[in-house]
Amino acid sequence: MNVIYAAATGIMFALGVFQLLRRDMIKSAMGFYILFTAINLFFFAVGAFNGQVPAYSQNLPKGQPSDPMVQALILTAIVISFGSYAILLGLIAKSARRYRTADLDTLNHLKG
Amino acid sequence: MLSLAVVTFFPIIVALLLIFAGNLLSRRMVISGIVALLVVLLIALVQYVPGMEESSRSSSVDWVPSLGLNFSLYLDGLSLLFALVIVGIGVVVALYAGFYFEAVHDLYRFYRLLLTFMSAMLGLVLAGNVLTLFIAWELTSVVSFLLISFEGATSPEARKGALQALIVTGGGGLALLLGLVLLGTASGSMEMQHILADNSLRTHAWYPVFTVLILIGCFSKSAQWPLHFWLPGAMSAPTPASAYLHSATMVKAGIYLLLRLHPVLGETPLWQSGLMIFGLITLLVGALLALHQHDLKAALAYSTVSQLGALVALIGLPDGAGVKAALVGILAHSLYKAALFLTAGAVDHATGTRDLTKLGGLAKWLPGWAVVAGLAGLSMAGIPPLLGFVAKETLLDAMLESPLALLVVVVSAALTVAMALILVWDVFMGERHDSTQDVHAPDLGMLVGPAVLVCAALIAGVGVDHLVKPLVQPVLHKEIHLVLFAGFNSAFWFSLLAIGVGIVVFMTRSQWRAFTMPETPSGKQIFEGVVGGVERVGDLVLRSQNGQLRYYLFVILGTVVLLQLSAGLSHITETSFQFAWNDSTDILRGLLLLVSLGAMVASIVIRQHFMAALILGVAGYAVGGLFLLEPAPDVALVQFMVETLGTVLIIIMLAKISAPERQAAMQNLWGQSRSGLIRDGVIAILIGVGVGLFALAAVNHRATLPNTISVWHLENALPLLGFPDVVGAIVTDFRGMDTIIEITVFSVAALGVLTLLSTPDTGSDWPRHFKRLAHGFRSNVLRHELKTSKIHHAHDKAFAEPEIETVFQSHFSTPLTRSVSAIVLPFALLVALSHLLYGGEGPGDGFTAGVISGLGVALWYIVYGYNEAQRRLGWLKPRYLIGTGLTLVIANAALPLLTSQPFLTHISFDAIHLPANLHLSTTLFYETGIFLTVLGCTSTVMEAIAYPGEVEPL
Repeated sequence: MNVIYAAATGIMFALGVFQLLRRDMIKSAMGFYILFTAINLFFFAVGAFNGQVPAYSQNLPKGQPSDPMVQALILTAIVISFGSYAILLGLIAKSARRYRTADLDTLNHLKG
Repeated sequence: MLSLAVVTFFPIIVALLLIFAGNLLSRRMVISGIVALLVVLLIALVQYVPGMEESSRSSSVDWVPSLGLNFSLYLDGLSLLFALVIVGIGVVVALYAGFYFEAVHDLYRFYRLLLTFMSAMLGLVLAGNVLTLFIAWELTSVVSFLLISFEGATSPEARKGALQALIVTGGGGLALLLGLVLLGTASGSMEMQHILADNSLRTHAWYPVFTVLILIGCFSKSAQWPLHFWLPGAMSAPTPASAYLHSATMVKAGIYLLLRLHPVLGETPLWQSGLMIFGLITLLVGALLALHQHDLKAALAYSTVSQLGALVALIGLPDGAGVKAALVGILAHSLYKAALFLTAGAVDHATGTRDLTKLGGLAKWLPGWAVVAGLAGLSMAGIPPLLGFVAKETLLDAMLESPLALLVVVVSAALTVAMALILVWDVFMGERHDSTQDVHAPDLGMLVGPAVLVCAALIAGVGVDHLVKPLVQPVLHKEIHLVLFAGFNSAFWFSLLAIGVGIVVFMTRSQWRAFTMPETPSGKQIFEGVVGGVERVGDLVLRSQNGQLRYYLFVILGTVVLLQLSAGLSHITETSFQFAWNDSTDILRGLLLLVSLGAMVASIVIRQHFMAALILGVAGYAVGGLFLLEPAPDVALVQFMVETLGTVLIIIMLAKISAPERQAAMQNLWGQSRSGLIRDGVIAILIGVGVGLFALAAVNHRATLPNTISVWHLENALPLLGFPDVVGAIVTDFRGMDTIIEITVFSVAALGVLTLLSTPDTGSDWPRHFKRLAHGFRSNVLRHELKTSKIHHAHDKAFAEPEIETVFQSHFSTPLTRSVSAIVLPFALLVALSHLLYGGEGPGDGFTAGVISGLGVALWYIVYGYNEAQRRLGWLKPRYLIGTGLTLVIANAALPLLTSQPFLTHISFDAIHLPANLHLSTTLFYETGIFLTVLGCTSTVMEAIAYPGEVEPL
């Protein structure tokens, strides 16, 4: 599975970056979102071990639990990604309202 | 006796006092206060003089011990001599400046800089550690820059001079830093005392390197040819600053360091030849150039350059023969040159010009100044019984051994005599050349300082044996002979010769003035070439900036790829690519990944934003499913929640952008040039490959059982915290600090969105808007302010786009959706409550609880539209929730501090039994705080993005 996860992370990054480089700001924001997901997936893939049961204490005798550390890290990462995403969308909404465009190049040509 | 640290920091403390007390006191009180305080400092310093011959004093405080950087101070004869000059001349300049500046604002600004400089300069000469010395050295350069550009706001000349001085002395400072670090490393300690006791430095392999570097630093600071050009350029500074920094103190910093290091670095061919050659050239060039200046201050600057050259050459003499002469020279020069500078300032003040060709005959109007200038000029020319005479005698005496040096010194001395005569005679005697302007005598108080200086020169000259000897002798550590008149020896005859030639040069000035000097080679051309070159390179670099953010991203990401590829590739082996399906869930995982990737590709290709956003949500859900398979229910839950919230958010946001705008943006999706698409595609693929390889290397080298902290977490969650949910235990307790920071960042993001969207769209009304915002925070909002803001607001609303709001609403607002969402929110709150209370036992915690209720709120905004949702949610105060939540979290984490337990200690109240298996512990409060914060944040973001126009100010 290692190769699959790594490949998926790589492809997601490629898609995210391509999307990020669009002129359309909304698409750019979506590119960011893809990158966030890719990073979470990467965290997930570098977990120390795979489990058979959720990481609950009462499950311990039943089998190998999943790695709780990466889960905690992903939780934090998801929240922070969402915060940045909200800011990003706020910026787009703002510039669309103020400059009446969602096109980055048009925005570039508006001075002031 | 004051401690050395007090002495060093005294002036800057006075400067700080001035900032706070300056406006409370009258101008006169400030001037007299500062002068009095500095006199106190001077008296304190004088008290060090008697015992100085036997001992030195030092004190040291560790600063950055790992770098060998201590704040040590070291006082011996040499530092004391310089400290006395610094404070002594400082008193005079402070007094003079009190009359020189007309505007109080300028005066206080000058005082602050002057006092800061004084501290820096004292720090330089009292430094007991070469690194502290360097810091003080650079500080003096910085303050010098600020003083030269004192009138920089109006004078391009001043700006240019200031920058030039900063670049030359700062560049020299860098060389010095390198030299000092090498010196300290060679000696084994950065402490001055250790270095000064190390006699093996001359034979060290690095000796030539650090000596040359240190010499470059000293030469640049002390304006030695060919780096001398910055000093005349620095004459844009106010005259008191020129008198203080650029003749008496700062330019002598190089001389100080040469004298300081002479005992351990001197007496080698490199040292002697370097100092003699550059010193003598500077001496001659400075004296020649001085004669050709029309500007009083420029003439004084070049004559200072010349004197500095003489001092450097003296330190380069074999067997330390010139050190005595150098020390006397420093004292004499500081006294007369400062007096002459201050006179030049007064002349400028009185006549409005400093041009020598326009001045003359001023003795009639300024008799006091004529006397002061006359005496200072006599000292400069080296006429007995002034200190300048002693200085010149000792200088000539020291040079007697080497004929070439003697010749240069005598010629320069003659030129200096001529210069002194020009400065005094052409200004104060003879006829006035340009009488168009009135002469108004400056305040008499201005004269006090310079008069003190010339009197000191006179008294020191007469009583040289009693007054100067106690200062000079401790430096040399040996008995010296210092008298006013040493008899008719050869030095005396050479001195007489110089005076004679000087008078002849002066008499014939109308003849040689006609000739223009050939351009002297100096570092100025090189300097300007380098500066011009840097600017041209800057232009080239600037041309690569096209202002397109995507282009910058391209460059940044491309660089990242290059860095990453090497890191990834170096850890990849053949076995890295081995691959096997372990079980059936692996196939399911693969499918989910495929779904996710497919959805992402679709979101790129699809030409409708709404559809793209929804499909992107599918990608997130697929990854959530992957988490669920792990099995990681907590993460999966949060992933689902946040995915939903994100999708809702982008849909609400899309509704705020008018359809034509979105279509226009979308038109450009594939409409951009083919080459641009290919470029983006290539960079994306490269990044994908780079990240993929990196990820592969990372996954293959990940931690393995049992060498991972996860094992400890698994074993201890229940015994330590009573939490069956290990992930929850990590988030709320083991890594609780992370969570505190995380929700703080989240709150800041939410408030950031609010601020962003609550600023006016027109951008023309910032001041008023901020006023409104500020008033919002206060409870006592002014009535009329409210009124105007309301009117203003109504005006804004008229320009907003009401049609979007209504169109958007009609899509979702059906009777069915309205009744469903009315039920959903209370239901969501109930689910949230259960997550909150039993977070430790199963999936979900305060964060999920917050997001679940936030989703309920979001639904209301979608279904009811902004206005109705606002009305119905009147009870929900998102900003208060954020504040309360954060306070609760932090207070709860800090509570254990009261019983002197560490921050974030988990306290369980097992003694209190609650129904329904509820556990009472600090974690519950913690989770509640997180819940409130997250609910507040999501509601705030929803509200901000859903608002049709502006958000109501806070």
